[in-house]
Formats: sequence, C-alpha cells, structure tokens
Amino acid sequence: MSGLLSQVVAAFLGSASFALLFQVPKDQFLFGGAAGAASWLCYLVFLRFHPSVVLASFAAAILLSILCRVFAVRRKTPITVFLTCGIFPIVPGSGIYYTVYYFIMSQNDLALYKGIETLKIAVAIALGIVLVLSLPYSLFRAFGRKTQN
Amino acid sequence: MNDSRRILELAIKAGEILLYNGGEIFRVQETMLRIAKAYGAEDFHVYIVSTGIFATALVDGRLHSTTLVQIPLSAMHLGRVIAVNSLSRDIACGRCEIDEAFRRLETIEAIPFYPPWMRVLVTGLGCAGFGFILGGDFFDSVISFLSGAILSCFLIYADRRKLSKIIANLMASALVTLCGLTFFHLGLGNHIDKIIIGSLMPLVPGVALTTSIRDFLNTDYLSGMIRLIDTLLVASCIAIGVGAVLGAASLFLGVVV
Repeated sequence: MSGLLSQVVAAFLGSASFALLFQVPKDQFLFGGAAGAASWLCYLVFLRFHPSVVLASFAAAILLSILCRVFAVRRKTPITVFLTCGIFPIVPGSGIYYTVYYFIMSQNDLALYKGIETLKIAVAIALGIVLVLSLPYSLFRAFGRKTQN
Repeated sequence: MNDSRRILELAIKAGEILLYNGGEIFRVQETMLRIAKAYGAEDFHVYIVSTGIFATALVDGRLHSTTLVQIPLSAMHLGRVIAVNSLSRDIACGRCEIDEAFRRLETIEAIPFYPPWMRVLVTGLGCAGFGFILGGDFFDSVISFLSGAILSCFLIYADRRKLSKIIANLMASALVTLCGLTFFHLGLGNHIDKIIIGSLMPLVPGVALTTSIRDFLNTDYLSGMIRLIDTLLVASCIAIGVGAVLGAASLFLGVVV
C-alpha cells in the first residue's frame, strides 16, 4: 500500500514538473500533475487484477481523458494542456527506448517484441483518448462553471 | 486595407502560434475557422498539417491565399496555447475588435518561457519522478535528478547555439548515459538502466508517438505520418547516442551493462 502511494506521488511529481517544462501557467500545472497521478494509479491497480500492460494502458487512458475533459470544461482551458502532462506516466517512452536499443545492439528478437508491444500500447492509449474525446460535450457540461463576463 | 485580408492574416497568425506551441491539428483548424466566421469572412478554407498551414479566403470574387510553413515539434509552450484559446473564445462572443485581437496576439507571442534555472529544476524533478515509477528506487531517483539537470543545461545550451535536432539529440543522449555511468561507477545508484531511462524521459518521444496515432485515428494521415517519422528519427538518435557510449564503455573499460 505504501508502495502504491509512493508510486502515485512520484507520478504526480513527474507530471507536474513536466507541465512546468511545457510552460503551463502556475495556476494550472498542478492539475496536469493530478491527471498524471490518477492515470498511473489506474494503471497500477488494473495491473493487479489483470496482467496486461496494453489493457492497463487503455484503461488508464480512458480515465485520464475523462478527468482531463472535466478539468478542461471546469477551467476553460484546452484539454491538450492536461492531456500532454497527464499522459507522461503511461506513455511508452521506455518501450521506444528499449526497442531501438535492442535494434542497435543487434538483439533483433527482443527489438521486435518490444517494438510490437510499444506500438500496441501507443494505439491503446490513443484509442482510449479518441473514444473519450468523441463523447458528446453535453455529458461534461454539468462540470462547467457559470461565469458572468 | 481591405477587411477580409486582415481577417485572413489574423486567423493565420492565431493558427501559427497555436501550431508552433503545441496545439493539436483539429484545434488549430477549429480556432481559425471560428475567428474567420466571427468576423464574417466568407469562403474561408484551411488545411493544416503538423508542419504547415494553408489558408485561402475569397474576397470580392478575388482569391487571396496565404501559405505558411514552420518547423514541427519545437519547444512546447502550452501557456500560449491557453492564451490563444481564450482570445478565440472572446472573438467568437464578439467581445474583441480586430485591431485589439492583433495586439493581443502580439502580447501572446511575447509570453516568456520560465527562467533557465527553473527549467533545469523541473527537468531534474521530472526525471527523478519517472525514474522512480519506471522501477528505480530512491537513490536511483536522486541520480536521475542530477543527470536530468545536467541534460537540461545541455538542452538550453543546444537551443541557444541552434544545434540541429539530430545532433542535439545524439549528444544529449550520449551525455545522459555518460553521466549515469559515471555516477553509477562512483558507487551512486543501484539500477543503471532505470537511471538512464529516467533521465532520458525529456528526450524520448512518447507523447509524440501517441499524438501521431491520435492524428491517424482522426484521419489526419499526413500529420500522423510526419509525426511518426519524427518520432522514429528522434528515437534512433537517442538509441545511437546511448548505444555508442555503452558500447565504448564495454569496449574500453570492460563494463557490462
């Protein structure tokens, strides 16, 4: 349990830091961090029930996109701001690295294995995002704030 | 100066800022069309790919067209994306005259980046966090923080010297690997691969790969392809940089990683 907590804290720290690296304003970057922490938590919890990295990434991407849409409507900010930061923990950065690393090191079997897995993860994440983004806006309208300006 | 010409210019300018600073393809398109519509431009068409905007507007039966091309995937500035978005919201509500819109766009373009020390700090913190969740322990994170901070200093330097993307990525990944190896052999850190991957996170094009596939799923095939090739290129540079240093280390020092 404490392992899970430290993982989530690290994911929050990483995502929030990268939000600042992408020049997200100071009043918004914590939400990027929260999105990242939530997606990583979802990923880890899913893996405990079903040991499939691809499905876990898909589930995490769906949760992440829903959360980001809520943030986006609530804070009147383009969704890409939260999505770009929140996606970082689940994005297959290490997969890309290992794929090309094995490729360069002539370990072609491993390179192929890692490459296909990376591609599957990337497709799963993108599919999750596109699914949630194509939900009608009216579902999220309730989260918007009334403003008089 | 006729009005439609200025509307086209304004829309192009807004689209350029969005695309340059990391806005998605469909957002750029939507924003430009919304601006044109709000100011009453007729027959306005845009076509957008990751590296350029093509827009035409028909004015008094004459065709005005503008083409614009720029570099893909430059340093993201999401603060500017947010600012353009709220400007386009104001324009759509009719709360912003065209002259004021131009002025606001100029202000948006001038929104500064965070100071260098802060970029170094957040890159380090980000690397530490991702080094940890990718399987490192606390000490690995600390080392990732240090390598990440050094990497960030190099990236700022490369940016100022306008090094080409390929060379910058090659050198940066080699530098990160060298830092990781050095720290590791000084007895700091426990998992050399986690340290290296953690501190490579700012370079590895994971988000770009996902964006590329999102473009494909949105049927923006051309943009998807551009980004995919960019991803492969950057990934190869990183692997060559890392591979060269690891290979040299095992060859000359007998270090096996």
